[in-house]
Amino acid sequence: MSSAVLQSSTRGRATTESVAVLVCLLALWWLASHLQWVSKVFLPTPEATLESLVQGLSTGELAGFTWDTVVRMLLGWLLASAIGTALGALIGASATARTWIAPTLEFLRPLPASAVMPLAISLFGLSGGMVLSVVAFGAMWPVLLATVHGLASVHVRLREVATALQLSRTAFVFKIGLPNALPDILAGMRLSMTVSLIVAVVGEMIASQSGLGQAILLAARSFRASELFAGIVLLGAIGFVSNALLALLEHQFLKWQRH
Amino acid sequence: MRPWVFPLLLLALLEAAARWLVPGSDALAPPSQALLAFGKALSASGDDSVLQATAFTLSSAALGLLLGAALGVTLGLVLGLSRRAAAMGFLSIEVLRPVPSVALIPLAMLVFGFGYRMEISVVAFATFWPLLILTQAAARQVEPQLLEVAHALGLSAWARTTQIVLPAMVPRLFIALRLGVSFALVVAVTVEIAANPSGMGYAMMIAQQSLAPDLMLAWLAWIGVVGFAINALTLRLQRAIAHRMGEPRTGVAP
Amino acid sequence: MSESPLLRFDQVGIHLGGREILSPTSFEVARGEFVCIIGPSGCGKTTLLRAAAGFLQPSGGAALRHGKPITGPSREVAFVFQDYGRALLPWRTVAGNISLALEAAGVPAQQRPDRIAKVLDTVGLGAHATKFPAQLSGGMQQRVQIARCLAQEPELMMMDEPFGALDAMTRESLQDEVSRLVRSTGLTVLFVTHDLEEAIYLSDRVIALRANPTADKPSLAAMVEVKIARPRDQLLTKEHPEFLRLRRELYGFLGHH
Repeated sequence: MSSAVLQSSTRGRATTESVAVLVCLLALWWLASHLQWVSKVFLPTPEATLESLVQGLSTGELAGFTWDTVVRMLLGWLLASAIGTALGALIGASATARTWIAPTLEFLRPLPASAVMPLAISLFGLSGGMVLSVVAFGAMWPVLLATVHGLASVHVRLREVATALQLSRTAFVFKIGLPNALPDILAGMRLSMTVSLIVAVVGEMIASQSGLGQAILLAARSFRASELFAGIVLLGAIGFVSNALLALLEHQFLKWQRH
Repeated sequence: MRPWVFPLLLLALLEAAARWLVPGSDALAPPSQALLAFGKALSASGDDSVLQATAFTLSSAALGLLLGAALGVTLGLVLGLSRRAAAMGFLSIEVLRPVPSVALIPLAMLVFGFGYRMEISVVAFATFWPLLILTQAAARQVEPQLLEVAHALGLSAWARTTQIVLPAMVPRLFIALRLGVSFALVVAVTVEIAANPSGMGYAMMIAQQSLAPDLMLAWLAWIGVVGFAINALTLRLQRAIAHRMGEPRTGVAP
Repeated sequence: MSESPLLRFDQVGIHLGGREILSPTSFEVARGEFVCIIGPSGCGKTTLLRAAAGFLQPSGGAALRHGKPITGPSREVAFVFQDYGRALLPWRTVAGNISLALEAAGVPAQQRPDRIAKVLDTVGLGAHATKFPAQLSGGMQQRVQIARCLAQEPELMMMDEPFGALDAMTRESLQDEVSRLVRSTGLTVLFVTHDLEEAIYLSDRVIALRANPTADKPSLAAMVEVKIARPRDQLLTKEHPEFLRLRRELYGFLGHH
């Protein structure tokens, strides 16, 4: 799901009407929970959720879980971006490498990132390191594929310029290939972040590692709906903030595109 | 022939490593053994069978996609055709969309327990968003000239929508659908790995827990094959539709 | 200076995609000459230029530079492409684009700013050094490309219909600029164009090629000297009787029949 359309979503501004719609939805939630259209076991009231949120954050418990998840996500994402760009550059720099390897990459693309978790468990056991390795491995692919594509899409004219100037292969990759691939790589890194969060949460659930993933799983098992919802809100917040920050970064790096 | 060289090389390396470097490992198994284990699983029947598990994953993915697509495309159409509606819905979408679908797994577990409905609901939530966004974009991207023609012909809003906008959107809708299919599959397998005790993802987890690395590798490969096959089929369908709807053979975005 | 000619094509033939694009063709280019190659589409003028620049190998015959076979591109040979937009790095400023040539040649970082400034002044873009290509007009972008080529300090400059995508006024001013540049640097130029007047206006010699060569009608249709004094003028030179005579003589070779 690497469509740039998805990432940029609906460019718009928050009008008063849209705020009103959101408020309506909140009101609907309030009604549904208070009037028991859905059992309180499944749907906590907004106030209960807020209370769990505030309490969890002030005692530091939820804050701690959030921090654990964020660190896992960020570390994995950084590793994935570095390795993905490096491997992608190696593969993408050579047309021969691309021809032989690209079909395998296409086959691996639709695999769920969490699919290597059983293998990782066998190798590393149920540990934080295991989760991190799967996060990094899973999140690596969008960046790797984006880098390969970005390098492959260098216009033939620029290749000829490089040949005419007698640029070495390394110089070509760093001065022409990678800059050309930068928009793709940044888009890939944004997708990577989404994958990182997902795999981090799944890993926490499976391997009982401290974090929001484990917290909401335990909350569900003990029928503590308000805590479950509080955790979901926090996960949504992480997703929102990380995406917004990356969008800002992308904006900065790609200034030359907007002239 | 050439696409097969590299993967076969990797498989040969794995075979050698698993056989002679780390024989009896709980994690790595030679691909040859994995093939044998898979063959055995194929002939098995009942809950452990390959067919059962594959069918479960595929059907929950399909039903989840159906639900998510039905809601996503409908809302996407509304938001795409009406700027006012899009502006109104903007904030709510931006607030709700960043919630990762996996965060809903415990909630779905709470409400439905384990089984079909839990997985379908998570897949539906996950696929709803991309289909909403892509449908909205498809509606917005209808060639302005076509809309001018509609205006010049004096078509009513209804006629304009059904005769011009909707048909023009079809190729892009099928692209969205194709992406939705592969996404639905990924989410379904992820739900099974994380929680749901059914389907291909779960079978792979069980293989790992029973210290059967050959079966685990076999399931991993099978998940890949199924995903690849489904993607290839939907790509064919998408291209056929695009061709039928008059899009040029080249230049249709993947 | 009795030395081998800068460029020599000795019965060079080129086959591409199973077709004979260029039948065995011979000609020489001396140092400091400005040679234009004209002909209808498909006559192989761009192919000939690329072979001279070392981008492709002849199928037959020998292409020689200083008497030695051309095996590939070299820093001594600069190439100006027609699609300037695609030949510039959009993520680098004008100065950055020029710098690429210097970086490739291994020029130390301290020397680069001066050389960049010098070459930008030569093409009149000194004030635009920090702009991005997308902010410049077509003519200016082409000048950036030419400046980058000059930064290579080449002995031979190939130009493939460099002004074809520009409007008439920009084309004329760039023609004069290139003529001026070439005269002051003593550069040798091989210039491909489909514009007959441009070819006569700029060159010391015009080579006309034919499309679809046959045994009795080879690729090389004509080679004429342009004995018009320099510096030339867009208005006056084009009314010069010699100019008009050459124009009449070469008109037919552009496939106008």
